Amino acid sequence: MADLYPSIAQCAVVATAFKVLLLPAYKSTDFEVHRNWLAITNSLPIQEWYFEKTSEWTLDYPPFFAFFEWFLSQFAKVVDPAMLRVYNLEYASWQTVYFQRASVIATELVLVYALSLFVRTAPPAFKRPSHAAALSILLSPGLLIIDHIHFQYNGFMYGLLILSLVLAREKSTRLASGLLFAALLCFKHIYLYLAPAYFVYLLRAYCLGQKSIFHIRFGNAVKLGTGIITIFGAAFGPFAYWGQIPQLLSRLFPFSRGLCHAYWAPNIWAIYSFTDRLLIFAAPRLNLLVNEEALTSVTRGLVGDTSFAVLPEVTARTTFALTLLFQTIPLIKLFFDPTWETFIGSVTLCGYASFLFGWHVHEKAILLVIIPFSLIALKDRRYLGAFRPLAVAGHVSLFPLLFTAAEFPIKTVYTIFWLVGFLLAFDRLAPASNKPRVFLLDRFSTLYIAVSIPLIVYCSLLHGIIWGSRLEFLPLMFMSSYSAVGVVGSWVGFLVVFFTS
Amino acid sequence: MAGPSPHKPRRKVKKTSNGSEASSVAPSTASRAGSSRPAYPLAAFLWPARSSVSQWEILPMILMAVGLFRWAAGLWGYSGYQNPPMHGDYEAQRHWMEVTTQLPISQWYFHDLQWWGLDYPPLTAYHSWVLGKVGGYIDPSWFALFTSRGLEDPILKVFMRATVIVSEYLVYIPAAVIFVRRLTKLQGINSWNASIALTAILMQPGTILIDHVHFQYNTVMLGLVLASMSSVLAGRFMWSCVFFVLALGFKQMALYYAPAMFAYLLGVCLFPRINIPRFLGIAVVTVAAFALLLLPLVLGALYDAHRGIDARPDLHGRFAPLPIFSEYSYLINFRAWYYPIVQQLAQMVHRVFPFARGLFEDKVANFWCALNVIIKLRNYPSELLQRASLLFTLAAITPPCFVIFAKPRKELLPVALSATAWAFFLFSFQVHEKSVLLPLMPMTVLLAGKHGLSKNVRAWVGFANLLGVWTMFPLLERVDLRIPYYVLSLLWAYLLGLPPTSLAVYSQDGQPTWAGFATTSIHSIFYLAMAAWHVAEGFLSPPQNKPDLWVVINVGIGAVGFGICYLWCLWTLVVESGIVDFSKLDKKKVKAQ
Repeated sequence: MADLYPSIAQCAVVATAFKVLLLPAYKSTDFEVHRNWLAITNSLPIQEWYFEKTSEWTLDYPPFFAFFEWFLSQFAKVVDPAMLRVYNLEYASWQTVYFQRASVIATELVLVYALSLFVRTAPPAFKRPSHAAALSILLSPGLLIIDHIHFQYNGFMYGLLILSLVLAREKSTRLASGLLFAALLCFKHIYLYLAPAYFVYLLRAYCLGQKSIFHIRFGNAVKLGTGIITIFGAAFGPFAYWGQIPQLLSRLFPFSRGLCHAYWAPNIWAIYSFTDRLLIFAAPRLNLLVNEEALTSVTRGLVGDTSFAVLPEVTARTTFALTLLFQTIPLIKLFFDPTWETFIGSVTLCGYASFLFGWHVHEKAILLVIIPFSLIALKDRRYLGAFRPLAVAGHVSLFPLLFTAAEFPIKTVYTIFWLVGFLLAFDRLAPASNKPRVFLLDRFSTLYIAVSIPLIVYCSLLHGIIWGSRLEFLPLMFMSSYSAVGVVGSWVGFLVVFFTS
Repeated sequence: MAGPSPHKPRRKVKKTSNGSEASSVAPSTASRAGSSRPAYPLAAFLWPARSSVSQWEILPMILMAVGLFRWAAGLWGYSGYQNPPMHGDYEAQRHWMEVTTQLPISQWYFHDLQWWGLDYPPLTAYHSWVLGKVGGYIDPSWFALFTSRGLEDPILKVFMRATVIVSEYLVYIPAAVIFVRRLTKLQGINSWNASIALTAILMQPGTILIDHVHFQYNTVMLGLVLASMSSVLAGRFMWSCVFFVLALGFKQMALYYAPAMFAYLLGVCLFPRINIPRFLGIAVVTVAAFALLLLPLVLGALYDAHRGIDARPDLHGRFAPLPIFSEYSYLINFRAWYYPIVQQLAQMVHRVFPFARGLFEDKVANFWCALNVIIKLRNYPSELLQRASLLFTLAAITPPCFVIFAKPRKELLPVALSATAWAFFLFSFQVHEKSVLLPLMPMTVLLAGKHGLSKNVRAWVGFANLLGVWTMFPLLERVDLRIPYYVLSLLWAYLLGLPPTSLAVYSQDGQPTWAGFATTSIHSIFYLAMAAWHVAEGFLSPPQNKPDLWVVINVGIGAVGFGICYLWCLWTLVVESGIVDFSKLDKKKVKAQ
């Protein structure tokens, strides 16, 4: 314990100071989304929460998050009641801004607690690497950009997730872990992507015997089952009673959206789109059919429904099948080797699969991969080798979220600061692996990281100087394709590490 | 282990003084690294860099971190933001970019003086010209003549903030890095402690709040002074003069340091033996630097006269007496070729040194303003006040200047500069509350000196800085900058383990001393007063007939506290210089025990 400096609390204090200074920073429409939810939950009866549509930003998170907004609105009432009026669209008095930003900072304490628990429960030999990993999550540029500038409550949400992951380590707290994860699903349903790993792990390590899978521990199964049913009942029960479940589900799962989000998340579909774009030029020579309609719609790069010019369309069903397929592969290993490290690895790979193959993936979802991965990235050097390109690509891919000049130095310098600091520290702390290196992943990752510098310079500075406002989709496409290569590369690398260790 | 560190004993003492801490370490792992712990949060943050981390890894990290805090602070409003008609310092700086880029050089010091007329020395004007050229390339409307006045374009704000950061990273920060490196090498301090000191210096709340939030370019001037001190450390006296002249040429406030600088340079020419070549070198270089500084202005005036551009088109070719030495103006023929030069320089001096203004303008925590609370100074003739001010200032600067003259040792220079700057701040004419940055800068760099991170020095440097920002609170509060004020000053206090976040600097290890006890009691009184003042100012409105009550109290407390800081600097200077032999006293004490 002697050497764990700076402590998590010290980092939290300094990080909080920095976040408070960011109060006047740019905020996205998500700020108005959450203000609207404060207003809805405060001023309307529960039955109307999922029907209200004065604002275009309707309530589309599960009920626990709505209850959480209701809880916050009790304080908001004291600060500035005007922000709680549903028709007060785009209301952003300084009290509202300070209050909402402060609520993000305050609820992040859950993350601080979860991380300190993670370090405390780590085995003695892994205390220092765990401490470094915990700090890397606490100071993550992803959380800083998304929560404290762009505006969301990911610190709180990922705090609950990490708490649940940490509780899964000890046998005695595994029930709590499962229940907490169930509650987390009722806060934000994006974590459904990680649910398969939880299901397999809890089934194998909690409900079935350690030696034989045919030895069912009924007591545990009943405890977990009733617990989960109670939690889901508390969240969805009232709405089921009022017969609002179809409406609620239509809000939670808006399948009418397109394959790619407004910005391209760096996943398989970004590479797919990029290939499609390239094939448009190659099509005449290769005698491929070009869908003329698609030409006009893709050129912007900022589209809701992408249609492809050369390559075949991708349906929601395809993405769903692919996601499930790539989630199942690691789960087989988890089923036969239900250790905590394998569990975290599986959670990470579930995150990867959903991010890479999912439908309408938002680039913010990269945290679903980075954060669980961080917990085991320091297991040995091979893990770190797979983590490195992800850390670069994942964070660089978040840059387009902030496009204002004033925030540019913050996002870039902070991310570079984090990358330099933590990748250097990780390099020192990660123990050598007892397995041989499979391929030259680390050489590629060094090259990959080096490419990011000219790319960022081009996209943020040179492009504007050379092209002015023309071809504005180009930087976005470069960024997301570059990041996609990194994410896919780190996924492949991690799959290899996962199955060979 | 690595090099003689003055701080290892402190850590050892901590270990023994806190038994539970030492016992918690298992005996098998009781290595030195395992048993010691950082004494304050900033040391904890640099803890992983204690050993085997190269300077080239840690330095970029420090520079990025302090840069992030600067930029984030800059997201807040600036002085005069949405405050027509005159706006504030931000508009002044922007306006100078407008004036210098849009008008011929001979008109810079004459153009519409009612709207933030240029009143800084030429280097500021040149600096504004460069920035204005760059900005005009991005968006010409930012610095268009007349139409750009009071412009509040958010992109312009980003540009202006960037110019402050860039100027600082080109001047102040390299100077600070080099200064800290030279001083710590000179004093035999290891590089880990040097990094701590550097971070503490760069996170100093006053400069961030004034330059990056309130808006000014003080760090350019302070950086040039720091570069000058740094050159002294390297023994390059001529470079030191050049930098000092540039500092003066950027902001006349650097004069606060001039007497001590002069005394020191004179001292090194006389002691230990008279060194005429050095003296001549210094003199020639100083004059040459001044000449070079004024050259663009002089040549510009001649060139404009040659082109037929009048410095004062408003006069329509008529003659106006010079602003200074007006009664001798008739001696000069205003048609002579040299007249434009005389006119230009006279106007520049007149603008830079506004003798005509009163003893003090705004409420500022110096002696006169505090005295004004008791005696209404307005009732006295201004010549008397000016003479009194001169006399008091001279009296206050003489002791530190004498010491640094008699004992011209380079490691004494920061504290000597600080003492003279305090003297000027307290007693001189036309002091602005922002000028407190001048004494604070050399005092803060003491952190990089011998025992710089010891409890005593941290306590005093911290006290001066926190008191300094506290006296600037009324200035910041006027433009709703409470939050950055609280965040940055509390953060700095936290990092260095100072009140109100920690009282550890006042716990005395080993033998309690009277000096330690005095420090503790003086500081406690002031910290309590500051805290109480914040509570009162925040929650109580002042009585009807005394609307300025909180500001007046602030000024009063500040002036007394700064007076104490002056005395501490003077005391430290005297003790460190060894001009008075204290060892005899110490020996007596030892015998008595």
